[in-house]
Amino acid sequence: MITVKQLSHHFEVGKKGQKTILPVLKDISFHVEKGEIVAIVGKSGSGKSTLLNLISGFIQPSEGEIWINDQRVTGFTEAQFADFRLEHLGFIFQSFQLIPSMTAFQNIELPLTFQGMDAAKRKELTKEMLDKVGLIDFQDHYPSELSGGQQQRVSIARALVLNPPLILADEPTGSLDSETEADLLQFIQQLNRELGTTFLIITHDDAVAGIGNRSLTIADGRLLEDGDSL
Amino acid sequence: MRLKDRFSFVGQNIKKNKVRTFMTILATAMGCAFLIVLASIGYGLQQTVVDDTMEQQIVTQIDVHGHEGKDGNYQPLTVSDIEYMESIEGVKAVTRKKNLQQMPVYQIEDYQIEAETVVADFPSELKSGLELHEGRLPKEDNEIVVGYDFANYLHSESDGEAIYDEEGKLKKEYQYKGKLIGKTIKMTVSKGEEAGKEQTQTIPLKIVGMTEKPTREWMEDAKVYISQQVLVEVEAFTGTAKGVIPDSDYEAEDDSNTFDDVKVYAKNLEGVEAISKQLDNANYATYSVVSEMKQINVLFTIAKAGLILVGTIAIVIASIGIYNTMTMAVTERAPDIGIMKAIGANPKTIKQIFLLESSYIGIIGAIIGTIVAYGVSLLVNSGLPLILEMAFDEELPEGLKFSSIPATLVLIAVGICLLVTILSGMRPAKRATKIDVLKAMRREV
Repeated sequence: MITVKQLSHHFEVGKKGQKTILPVLKDISFHVEKGEIVAIVGKSGSGKSTLLNLISGFIQPSEGEIWINDQRVTGFTEAQFADFRLEHLGFIFQSFQLIPSMTAFQNIELPLTFQGMDAAKRKELTKEMLDKVGLIDFQDHYPSELSGGQQQRVSIARALVLNPPLILADEPTGSLDSETEADLLQFIQQLNRELGTTFLIITHDDAVAGIGNRSLTIADGRLLEDGDSL
Repeated sequence: MRLKDRFSFVGQNIKKNKVRTFMTILATAMGCAFLIVLASIGYGLQQTVVDDTMEQQIVTQIDVHGHEGKDGNYQPLTVSDIEYMESIEGVKAVTRKKNLQQMPVYQIEDYQIEAETVVADFPSELKSGLELHEGRLPKEDNEIVVGYDFANYLHSESDGEAIYDEEGKLKKEYQYKGKLIGKTIKMTVSKGEEAGKEQTQTIPLKIVGMTEKPTREWMEDAKVYISQQVLVEVEAFTGTAKGVIPDSDYEAEDDSNTFDDVKVYAKNLEGVEAISKQLDNANYATYSVVSEMKQINVLFTIAKAGLILVGTIAIVIASIGIYNTMTMAVTERAPDIGIMKAIGANPKTIKQIFLLESSYIGIIGAIIGTIVAYGVSLLVNSGLPLILEMAFDEELPEGLKFSSIPATLVLIAVGICLLVTILSGMRPAKRATKIDVLKAMRREV
């Protein structure tokens, strides 16, 4: 599903003419199989979020290459990556990233609209997702009218509505209390079992890492271990 | 993403900033209305001038004033010239008139009039489309046709100045009230004084027809149309060409066979230009309403282009408002744009949504501007003549139109409006596509 080969990345910091190179990731290689839940763990500033952003195509790597679903996504143009994301990737963010002026229904419907689906089909799929995440009664609520857990459920529903083979989650439980966190993790496992969706989860939380088939640890931009089967 | 959904997005975005969008639309509408009203004055005046010119003249008519001789001077037209003109392809008729070089006195019963007299070639007049108001065309040499207003100037011989009104027209009660057709009228011509006594000759003529009423209200036709034979008779009496009253300075010139008024009639409007060109090439001095129209249209096209250019400046100023509105919209929605891009919105789609939004402002502004411009035009056309008449105490020319908005002007204005608004929305739309996803989601844009 995901193959990362000798991936390195650095940021240029400082003013123009006085820039310094700040290495973030160094020679990272790993592979994620279809249907796996893989946790990437590490301390703050270890480079795990940068790794996720590189896989997501939000930034381009300095070196190395990334393959998703047998497609080399490194070198994709912004437009190509946008289309690729729509078809293959779903995102769950720590801060939910819902559009505040849209209702729960409209937020979930958004990827379907971008895909050019007709309104009737969109409505059907969105309702189905709302039902699945248990928010059918909250469909007309704006994000500000929902709890953190409910917002994250909307975010998950939006990520899953197009049934992508891969979900990238960045600290999905970071903004949730322990009870809601447990519910959400259970929900992720259920989706993985029922739909066979692959999850790549960035976390520093052991409980989150615990639901994965295996975890990859990053420290100082380097991958420490790979393949610890749980 | 479907077009319908893009429109729905635009609608949602506009709803979020109703007042700002309304003000931008208002500015665009004012710019568009200003452009249309300004240019409509050019269109209105052009229409007035063109209509006026067309009404005064027959559009298929070409006036031929003379022929340029080898010495560079214009020579009067003769029968050979007429024959040449008749041979040109597309010519329907060539009418020719000779003016009697004195004003004979015409007398019927106790009424009389001094009238301009011309010799017309009636067969060619008939071919050119001449129609009579009453009666028929002359068949005999002593038969004549009189102008439509001839009777209005026939007055009693003994009447003094009191018979005329303020405008110099004969008062109704003094006008001849009898029928003219079929009546015999005496034409008295003079050849000046001999031994202190005026030498005159009276020729009896029969009125058989009356010309059509002139097309314009202010035009009058009180002429008398006589035959060539009557002219010969007058010339025989005066001993001069075309009946000139001889005096000590008179030099006999053989211009009896030259024509004073020659008109070529084309079969259709399309033929006028070609015939005019051929006549010009053959060194004839011509004038046609078509050539005048050309000059008028060129002049007004330049004027209209200038007015449209000035009006466009108003739209360009309004476009600054659109640019500002769209830039603010992009800045405000940067986090949303970031989220959309993250979940798979194509940058092209985002650009199109913003372009659609600026186009929407342009279209609505142009529609409102056009409606307002029609209203202003209506007010100008109905109100301005009244104000001017009251201010200057003078009646304005009949049919004067200050403002006219043809469909082409609306299309030009809407086109300019749309182009300017799309261009002004282009940069903000491009900026929207360049928004960094990560920065936008961190609310750093």
